[in-house]
Amino acid sequence: MIMKKLMTILLLCAGATKMSAFCGFYVAKADASLFNTSSQVILARNGQRSTITMWSDFKGDVKDFAMVVPVPVVLKKTDIKVVEHTLFEMLDAYSGPRMAEYYDNNPCQNYDLESVSDMAYPSSMARGAGMQEESKSAKKEVVKIEARYSVGEYDILILSSKESVGLADWLTENGYKIPSGANEVLEPYIKSNMKFFVVKVNTDELKKRGTSAIRPIQISFNSPKFMLPIRLGMANANGKQDMIVYALSKTGRVETTNYRTLKMPTDNLVPEFVADVFGKFYHDLYRKNMKREGGNNVYLEYAWDVSMNAYIKCDPCSGTPPEIAEMMTAGVDWLDFDYHYNTYNGSVFLTRLHVTYDRENFPQDLMFQETPNKENYQARYVITHPAQGPFDCSEGKNYLSSVYKRRVEELQELSRLTGWDVSNYADYAYTINGFKIPMESKSTSTKNTKNDTTGFISKPNNQIGLPNNGTITSENPTKEAVFNPIYLDDDNKGGNNSADGSKGTDAYYIVALGAMLLLLFMLISSRRKRESV
Amino acid sequence: MITTQIKSELQHSSSLINKATDKFTSDPRHYQITFLLIFLLFGITNLGWEVEQFKFIVTFITCLSTQAVFTYFTNKDFNSLKSALISSLSLCLMFKTNEMGTIFLAGFLSIASKFMFRINGKHIFNPTNFGIIITILLSGKAWISPGQWGSNGLLLLFIGLLGLTVLLRVKRLDTAFAFFITFVGLSFIRNVVYQGWPIDFFFHQFTSGTLLLFTFFMITDPVSTPSHKIARIVWSVLIGVVAFYMQHILFVNGAPIWALFILSPLTILFDKLFSANQFKWK
Repeated sequence: MIMKKLMTILLLCAGATKMSAFCGFYVAKADASLFNTSSQVILARNGQRSTITMWSDFKGDVKDFAMVVPVPVVLKKTDIKVVEHTLFEMLDAYSGPRMAEYYDNNPCQNYDLESVSDMAYPSSMARGAGMQEESKSAKKEVVKIEARYSVGEYDILILSSKESVGLADWLTENGYKIPSGANEVLEPYIKSNMKFFVVKVNTDELKKRGTSAIRPIQISFNSPKFMLPIRLGMANANGKQDMIVYALSKTGRVETTNYRTLKMPTDNLVPEFVADVFGKFYHDLYRKNMKREGGNNVYLEYAWDVSMNAYIKCDPCSGTPPEIAEMMTAGVDWLDFDYHYNTYNGSVFLTRLHVTYDRENFPQDLMFQETPNKENYQARYVITHPAQGPFDCSEGKNYLSSVYKRRVEELQELSRLTGWDVSNYADYAYTINGFKIPMESKSTSTKNTKNDTTGFISKPNNQIGLPNNGTITSENPTKEAVFNPIYLDDDNKGGNNSADGSKGTDAYYIVALGAMLLLLFMLISSRRKRESV
Repeated sequence: MITTQIKSELQHSSSLINKATDKFTSDPRHYQITFLLIFLLFGITNLGWEVEQFKFIVTFITCLSTQAVFTYFTNKDFNSLKSALISSLSLCLMFKTNEMGTIFLAGFLSIASKFMFRINGKHIFNPTNFGIIITILLSGKAWISPGQWGSNGLLLLFIGLLGLTVLLRVKRLDTAFAFFITFVGLSFIRNVVYQGWPIDFFFHQFTSGTLLLFTFFMITDPVSTPSHKIARIVWSVLIGVVAFYMQHILFVNGAPIWALFILSPLTILFDKLFSANQFKWK
């Protein structure tokens, strides 16, 4: 049910569209109904220094916007910045899962027709407007205001507290609506000596800027902890939340140390029509993959050296690679510039992680480590356009038959990846740019066939070797049919999260059984040995 | 006539099985090799680990050949190749790198440390531990991935159970428990009692397969732990304390592995202070 809701609320995936919520929680000042559904974070790490840039698509009235993020130190004013959201849009478009397309050569013609292009998906953001500012004095004895800043359109307080109840009370008294159960969530952070970075929107400042959109906020601090606090964000969340993390590091990939970091499937060959619905395709692929691997993992969507050292920054590029100025805005401060030659030393590695978290599966905040792993990776899906006809030579006939085979495999792959029922798309395999494929070699095609003008035999009105044996109900699949795919299993229909990682569980039982047998065997053999002695 | 023939055949085959099982159970290293192999296969089939055949092959060849060369020039006891096999499996399970040279270095250092840092027949460092740490420090191109095991309780229960059977055989249960109880106990006091994290937060950090592998298969290596029982317990408790400090105060990833590396040389001191019969692989 939650999944269904999520699917309708956000078309998250790849170039993700509607994002909202940071790693902190929102505290509503009115009874505004707020959804903490997803967020984007840029993490730049240089030694012990972390720069965290947070952005969400806050859907409510900005005067209700508030955020609480635990931070390890009292931040100075220079540690807090506001950056433009284009930074996120650029990173998102550049590092998102991509589709590559290839073109076949016509075997009956001599010219070459080959190219690679890419599909970037739109990334749109919409925000509400509104203005209000408010602040009251703290109860000095329990909550201490360590610092108070005004940065851009934000009013910022750094609070420290000795006890969670006091902090929760203070926030309530100052007009913030605290999610129930916030006490318990705040407590461990207070005991860990963390400070609280509390943000509100200064509506007058926002008015001066002549815009209604709030910008991403960035904080920098030194701490051995390389982590993102997600637990506060779960305090008032309904169900699962999505977060995209763009990690920029000196040496190589960033991975989580307390959860598995898994690669998304990549380089899969999928049918041409997937290009029209790439967002939906990736969304369903992500959900199905998550279902298979279990709900408590972090998924790798992109990993690449984005500095001058790397000549190729992606293949294909779904967006422009980040410029040096943009990386510096995001917190990359470790490059050595040589202004004379207009160059620099040092490298920047970008890792894009996607995590869907909830309280049950993510009991701990996300802890990261930077590894020396420089291996490039991208979540990439490939479509292949067949050659244009005519295919009247003998190679042409073989070519069409090979395209048929390829397309059947593409459909099977699509079904495997997304759980879509592809039996409606039989026509995709049989008709190639208006040409029917030759069917002599197919055993199922002996009946109901007729010769057409191209000299090939058209498709049978019967099933083809597609994964499920559903009959063909539509000969010409429409886009609508793709947009509302029929699912073969429950994975993407929503609901039933409890079955997460079902495959894993089966395997565990097999291993458990094996181990039991082994133990039994050892017990018997050692007893027998003792007897013989 | 025929029945006696069948009987003798049966007896013969059952005695063969008996011989095989006796051979298997005669050396705890056989269990260790089997279990580590199970973990590796499980990781590849179920935890989404990449199959890095080439890396695995390089690891095995390096470890085994280094062991063979050193053994040839020392005691010529080629039974010790089993230990090299354990080291290679441990490296495959814990050690990550993308470079063949680094794997070679780790394999070589692991095995060579046994022969180079040796006092009275005991290793100063745990071989795999030494190999991993020194290679990470020297090359800067290697790392360990504590997150690779996920957090499925059942799997970890079995790592523990299987580890336990090995420990019973090598009589190092005290070491594992002293370390584990100290480390988990201190973490419990800090995280749950003092900081007030919920209990699933606490359990989550002990579901790292790396920690359990460390507890049941690394710290308990009989040739690099103190020989006297009391010394062993004190030594493991110390490792637990240092690991706790590194993990929770200094935020070091894979803290226990670093703690063992730092405290390993104390084994020699403990062996001087407390005399006891040395462990010998059978």
